[in-house]
Amino acid sequence: MAERLGLRLRFALFFAALGIGGVAIIAAALWFGQSRAGRDPGGYVIAGVVAALGVLGLAAWIGLLFDENVAKPILALASDLSTRARADVDLEIDETQAKHLSTLAPAANAINAALAEARAARQRAIERETARISREKALFEALFRDLGEGAVVATPDNRVMLYNRMAQELLGEIGLDRPLSAFLRPEPVLDALKRMQAARIRGRISAETFLAASADGTRFLLGRVSPILSDEEVTGHVLIFRDATDDLSAHAHNDHLFNSLLEGVRRPAATIGALLDVLQSGDDLLPETRARFRQGIEDEVGRLFGCLDDMGKRHSAARSRRWPMSPVAVSHIFDGLSAQIDLPLATGETDATLICDGFAITALLAQVIDGLTETGERRDLALGAEVEGEETRLVMTWQGPAVRDGEIAGWLARPLSTAYGDYTGRDALSGHQSDLWCEPTATGHRIVMPLVSGAPPLALGDARPEFYDFNLPDAPMGDLAERALADLSFVVFDTETTGLSPRGGDEIVQIAGIRIVNGRILRGEIFDTLVNPGRAIPPASTRVHHISDDMVTDAPDITQAGQRFHEFCKGAVLVAHNAPFDLAFLRLKEQVIGRRFDNPVLCTVLMSAGLFEHTGAHTLDALCERFGVTIPPEARHTAMGDTLATAEVFVQMLELLKAKGVTTLGGAIAEEGRMTKIRRAQNY
Amino acid sequence: MSKKSVLLVEDEDNIALALEHLLGREGYRLRRVASGNAALEALAEDRPDLVVLDVMLPERSGYEICQIIRNDAALRDIKVLMMTAGGGEVERRKGLALGADAFLTKPFATRDLTRQIGQMLDGDEDG
Repeated sequence: MAERLGLRLRFALFFAALGIGGVAIIAAALWFGQSRAGRDPGGYVIAGVVAALGVLGLAAWIGLLFDENVAKPILALASDLSTRARADVDLEIDETQAKHLSTLAPAANAINAALAEARAARQRAIERETARISREKALFEALFRDLGEGAVVATPDNRVMLYNRMAQELLGEIGLDRPLSAFLRPEPVLDALKRMQAARIRGRISAETFLAASADGTRFLLGRVSPILSDEEVTGHVLIFRDATDDLSAHAHNDHLFNSLLEGVRRPAATIGALLDVLQSGDDLLPETRARFRQGIEDEVGRLFGCLDDMGKRHSAARSRRWPMSPVAVSHIFDGLSAQIDLPLATGETDATLICDGFAITALLAQVIDGLTETGERRDLALGAEVEGEETRLVMTWQGPAVRDGEIAGWLARPLSTAYGDYTGRDALSGHQSDLWCEPTATGHRIVMPLVSGAPPLALGDARPEFYDFNLPDAPMGDLAERALADLSFVVFDTETTGLSPRGGDEIVQIAGIRIVNGRILRGEIFDTLVNPGRAIPPASTRVHHISDDMVTDAPDITQAGQRFHEFCKGAVLVAHNAPFDLAFLRLKEQVIGRRFDNPVLCTVLMSAGLFEHTGAHTLDALCERFGVTIPPEARHTAMGDTLATAEVFVQMLELLKAKGVTTLGGAIAEEGRMTKIRRAQNY
Repeated sequence: MSKKSVLLVEDEDNIALALEHLLGREGYRLRRVASGNAALEALAEDRPDLVVLDVMLPERSGYEICQIIRNDAALRDIKVLMMTAGGGEVERRKGLALGADAFLTKPFATRDLTRQIGQMLDGDEDG
């Protein structure tokens, strides 16, 4: 404002000075003329006044013109330009307002156009770059998620920043921001890290290997750890590992089997050889001695047979997996086949899964179909799967003559695929420890191939939506109460029970929990289990939560479920709607569970009362309505449904608390403390 | 009662020698052939009551011989006892699926074989 006035004021002062200067010159000139001519000064005074008024008027008029046509347009232009410099305005500058400023306005417009163009170009570049980054992000997410090996990225203090599905499968209930040592015996990894650090100091950046047991000791993991460096600083490390349990045990088992076989064959073979030698060496043997020798040979042969029989059984039970196999959906194999052969092929709907090499089995089936249709006598091919426990049979039927085993053997003797070199269909079958044959049926013939059933593969929907967070808060420091709410991990949970009276013998029948880290609800990191209450569930309660006695007969008891839940909650603040109720059940069971639930606790009822004192309704439904959270009706009063709703409400309440200036856990608990009336009512 | 006839299809001479002796002693009329095609000829020539059939044979596998027997109306009723040195469970299943009446894994005690054959042929008599 001062500047704008400044320019106009300067112009005004300039013209004022011009006018006053003109008047002074006129006055001085008249005074000089009068003193020379010496006439009556009256005429001079009149002439002077007229001239002075004229000069002043002229100066004022031109000054006004200047103000209107120069100063104001300059200021307008300046304002237009600075607006465009600061904000994204692409409008053209109005040139008519500055028509007396010659080419200044067009010049300003040229700059404006150039600026707009530059901005548009930058915008396009940003959009391109953003699209590229999100493409890369999607790629890396898919890559990491479905990597066949377990992958974990950890902070320098060994908290989990990222994990993939395989890591989850190998390490169990892994979660973001949780210490690695909760899932893995950390010493071998720490040792590898030390070696890695030592190598880095010597200027060598490399991966170090480790062999570590999972925290529960049931698995062995073989892996590599490598540093993540940015600006010469270690910002974390990547662990890539795979399950070596089976390898180690299969190796040991095979070794053991082989050694037992050698020993089991050697001993009777040596004895039989010696006995036979003696028997044949001469006729000097007494008949009874001869009989003893014969008996000896018979015994040893029996021993040899026994050994072979035993080894055969143990070998087939071991299912040595020489061929790399993984769960493959049968429908994928069928789809692959339909695409590969140009014949109508009826395939039955199936959700069966096989443990196999999907490519090899597809190629093998294609080979069989080729063979079947070679002569043109067989039509109406159909494929299906029969699941029977551990075994899933692929079954092919057709209209037309049967197939001789020799024909099948001929097809299988061909190389399977150029991708596999000389590897034949027969090799693939033995790799799968299987065979295929043509057997008669009531109406015709069919080819059968038994394979091992697989557990259903992880559906895409099972992929955890949040499996990484590279902006984890720093390691916990100092007093918990002083820590920022934003830096804390929370477990929001809910229980379903046999009734409302924990001290009157009611028990938990279901526990569900979900983690919140860094303000995000981790929908993939959930805890959800039924609990066997060890007593009947009253029908009235079953009507509320739809959990019946039948459903919990095979469920773990509170000891087991409670221990697992305690693990799940380690290091987190517990949050529940009406938390004292749920906690009363857990705390009464602390003796049985053998763990103490001494985590800090927040209650969404109390938080709500603190935030919206004037309103009376703090039920979960009321809170959901207030925050626009919808619970599907079928999920209401299930532990997981209520947990999810509470989590969403809780995250929004954290925002409101922040707006109110409450940013620490201590502050939030103090807010709750004011609600003494409600607290008294919560005495379970 | 005429002697029961047994066809032994086995390409390994030493075990064939032993089995020939053994089955002859049991009182069966025994012929032995050493390949798949020879087995088919022998079957066409004179229908036996039982075939002792090794899986691994030159020219045609034991599986295929068994299939042919089961698909031929004239031969269908012949008893088939298959034997193999391969120990896998899947071989046994395949043999039984293709119509074998019994399946023995080598090595076996000879008395198991004679007992098995005896049972199969007695059963036939009862029927």
